[in-house]
Amino acid sequence: MDSAIGECLAAFVFGSVVGLLVQRSRFCNTAALRDAILFKTYRNTKALLVAMMILTLGFTTFLTFGEGNPMHFDVGLNQIMGLFLFGIGMVLAGACTVSTWVKTGEGNVGALWALLFTFIGMFLFSLLWSVNYWPPASLSMTGEPNLSALQLGYSNAATLQEKFGIPAVVFGAVQTLVLFAIYRAIRRKETIQHQHHEEAAARREAAKAAKAAKPANTDARTEQA
Amino acid sequence: MKGAPFTAMEFFRKTLDPVIALAAIAFLDIFLFLLVGAWTVGGGETMMTGLFAELVMGKEAVARIPFWSLVFKPDIAYWKIYISLGMLFGAFVGAVLSKEFYLRLPRRLSEWVLITIGGLLMGIGIRLAFVCNVSTFFGLTPEMNLGGYLSISGIIAGAWVGSMIYKKILEG
Repeated sequence: MDSAIGECLAAFVFGSVVGLLVQRSRFCNTAALRDAILFKTYRNTKALLVAMMILTLGFTTFLTFGEGNPMHFDVGLNQIMGLFLFGIGMVLAGACTVSTWVKTGEGNVGALWALLFTFIGMFLFSLLWSVNYWPPASLSMTGEPNLSALQLGYSNAATLQEKFGIPAVVFGAVQTLVLFAIYRAIRRKETIQHQHHEEAAARREAAKAAKAAKPANTDARTEQA
Repeated sequence: MKGAPFTAMEFFRKTLDPVIALAAIAFLDIFLFLLVGAWTVGGGETMMTGLFAELVMGKEAVARIPFWSLVFKPDIAYWKIYISLGMLFGAFVGAVLSKEFYLRLPRRLSEWVLITIGGLLMGIGIRLAFVCNVSTFFGLTPEMNLGGYLSISGIIAGAWVGSMIYKKILEG
């Protein structure tokens, strides 16, 4: 898309639909990770995995034919460090980048506060970056490994296709299968959890019934005496 | 309409299955990927930070900070800003139509403190990594970018540490 206004309009329409769907479904990326770790519940994790499966097949299909606009920058240690800090932050704040906007739209002042401090954090980092210039800016990225700057370069499904001569979608299919295997493992775990809950409920019911039957037996014995 | 499987009113009355919601978002994200690029939030937020900084400090003062001239030049026509504004708008419409819009404030001081620390860490983390959680799960990893796998390792480790801190706080 060439026009900046067109790009902004497409982005706004996309964002509006996302905001509406996330608000109505109560999807939360933070919960997708936190609830799986802490409470062993997977409502949001399953949704995240389904989206990733669709996206992997979709993106890699188009990348096979040289279509689409993939993200293009060198990656390295800063991704692990940055997302590590982000992961702690999102659990403490109880919201990620999506839910801060969505919850703010619902009138949640705490989410607006988190958003404000996300901006402040970004500004603080901009000051720090202006002192040490790390991680490298896109102007100085080469696409190749740059170990002195702790950068591994640039690679995605399209570069894999270029390197190995195998269509990008084949790599995408393999990743989709891995994601599906994780999804199935979660579904199996949920089925076992459900069975345990049902068995526990049945045991509780049986105990209750036995308790209720006890006084009646006692009465019967009294009558016989 | 009686017997209809799903009506507009129902959409705003019942909670939508997140699997359906995220599948729909994924298909839309493929269209966005073809038009401009995959769904992301952190980039737009950074640009908004630059624009707010210009409002508060003035354009010249911000331009003197190398980050804002070498990495992100504040630009109001940056498309990623409008994804965030759209999400805010869409969520507001959804909340109003489903009668779920009301002002909610964190009650305890400890909640304000956690949100403040959490917000700061998210902001610093996004800029350090060049990506946010959305680009990680809905952009980089589906593109099979190496950065996606690095980011996922980081966010899972971070969420685990965050969850342990959260658990300690819950247990008092």
